[in-house]
Amino acid sequence: MADSIITTAGLGHAYGNIVALHHVDLEIPPGRVGLVGANGAGKTTLIKILLGVLHPTVGTTSVFGANPHTDPIVVRSRVGYMPESACLPLHQSAADFAVYAAELAGIPPRAARQRASDVLTLVGLHEERFRYLGEFSTGMKQRATLAQAIVHDPEVVFLDEPTAGLDPEGRDEMLDLISRLGAFGINVLVSSHVLPDIERTCDWVVMLDGGRVLRTGPIESLTDTSTIEVELLDDPAPVVAALAARGAVVEVDRQTVVFTLAEGDPFLLARDVLAETGAGLRRLGPKTTTLEDIFLKGNGAP
Amino acid sequence: MSGRGGVVFDLGYKPHEGPRLGRLGAVRAVIKDGVRRVLGLRRRARKKVLPWLLFSIALLPAAVFVGLAFFVGTFSPEAESPFGGHVEYIGLVGVLVMLFIALAGPELLIPDREEGVLAVYSSRPLTVGDYLLARAGAMAIVVAAFMIVPNLLMYIGFAAIDEGGFASTLAGNADDLLRILGATAAYLFGYGAPAFLIATYAKRNGPATGVFLAVMVGSTAVAGGLSTAPDLPAGRWGSLLSLLQHPEIVRSWIFGQASDLDSIPTDAGFEPWASLVVIVLVTFLTAAFTYRRYRRLM
Repeated sequence: MADSIITTAGLGHAYGNIVALHHVDLEIPPGRVGLVGANGAGKTTLIKILLGVLHPTVGTTSVFGANPHTDPIVVRSRVGYMPESACLPLHQSAADFAVYAAELAGIPPRAARQRASDVLTLVGLHEERFRYLGEFSTGMKQRATLAQAIVHDPEVVFLDEPTAGLDPEGRDEMLDLISRLGAFGINVLVSSHVLPDIERTCDWVVMLDGGRVLRTGPIESLTDTSTIEVELLDDPAPVVAALAARGAVVEVDRQTVVFTLAEGDPFLLARDVLAETGAGLRRLGPKTTTLEDIFLKGNGAP
Repeated sequence: MSGRGGVVFDLGYKPHEGPRLGRLGAVRAVIKDGVRRVLGLRRRARKKVLPWLLFSIALLPAAVFVGLAFFVGTFSPEAESPFGGHVEYIGLVGVLVMLFIALAGPELLIPDREEGVLAVYSSRPLTVGDYLLARAGAMAIVVAAFMIVPNLLMYIGFAAIDEGGFASTLAGNADDLLRILGATAAYLFGYGAPAFLIATYAKRNGPATGVFLAVMVGSTAVAGGLSTAPDLPAGRWGSLLSLLQHPEIVRSWIFGQASDLDSIPTDAGFEPWASLVVIVLVTFLTAAFTYRRYRRLM
């Protein structure tokens, strides 16, 4: 892929005898990319390798063409990072810490103050900016953590489980913020084990399971299928026979018939078959495939 | 929209299009934050009390001495002065510096590590060495202020009232400035290195401060005990464990007064340079252990 911002080739990492990543080949495009996997799938390990904090046991990786292992300064000059665990100094105000986080990335002091003010406003902490971080609620701390990750205007930001510990309202607001980052020109790599969060915020997904890449690609291509679901009032046998006779791949579950057509419009076929057999129709529509379906299928779950 | 009503603009997100100072800017930020942190600046009031109390105690006698000398109208920067010279003053401030370092060492390293802030440094153009050197630099700046500001006040103040003339007195005693810097370095490394080493492994500030003071006092007591036990083959070498006294010995050596000092290592027959070697060794050990630990964290 020519315009990948992150690539890995044969990437592996082990903590002693425990293999966290196993031969990971990735080409991650610009935009909002989700890193999905269960706890222990290797998401945080991958992010830490991309930051140059962990070194790969085998394989290579590059971020904007630079190797995080050999050129960490180059990589770190262009990235932001929101860790999963707490990373805020409790005896410092949100404003002071945001300024410090910007200056740490080389932003001159005056510009750092301006950016800190702007970004704290952006994440909804403008009113609270002079309060000490130790007094913040979990949701406010997550916002402050996001603020430090983007205050220096990075080219890509790594968000590690950004909704962890948030209540539904806080989670909703955090996902909205993440969705907006793409519009600001900041590429996002967001890791989560909550699949709907990734579906809502990202346009590309990498699925990890047990340290291996399960699937990768645009979410649209993974979830958008031409599979049709028809729920009947009567015996589905005649409909199934008619669909099969026209080359459809058919599955039946009691009164529900699910079929896929390699060529042609499946809705027109459904209309014709229902008219031909005279079957009573309860419901007809596309079968929605979620990331969860794909993940479970890839995992070998029923 | 027109008319007199206000308009609210959603300014959205503005990318940074100005310069980036890179690694140097990051190091400068860590030093600035370190100085603020150890002095309690932009922190809660209780964080300011002890450092500023110590700094005031360090500065106050110098101001009083200069003031008194001005009214009495006499001064000699050397020991025959009724107020003592730089070497005595550094000895007095040295105790305060040790107490300050006991507080500052843990404050510079422990919160970042225990509150997870190291993760933020991991995503900035900063190496482990940059971070640790910048933290040590912050300590150096404040310790230097402790040592140099009162001595400079005395240096300039006493020169101003000296009968020999301001400029000639300043020039005549210029060597003192270098000696003050040398003594400052001895205290910085002699006390700062053990404080950093303890802070590298401690989880909380209070216990780390306590352990540091206990090590300083305890090691000197142990050294005293060993040096008076001639039956022990390591007794003489054990006198070098007196961590509390090495900076004082080097200070006296720098000012040419080592023979006047009563200390455990010198009483055991060690030359003052042995204390300098101990300080250098402890500093290198601290650097190695601290770097090794932080390499795993950042």
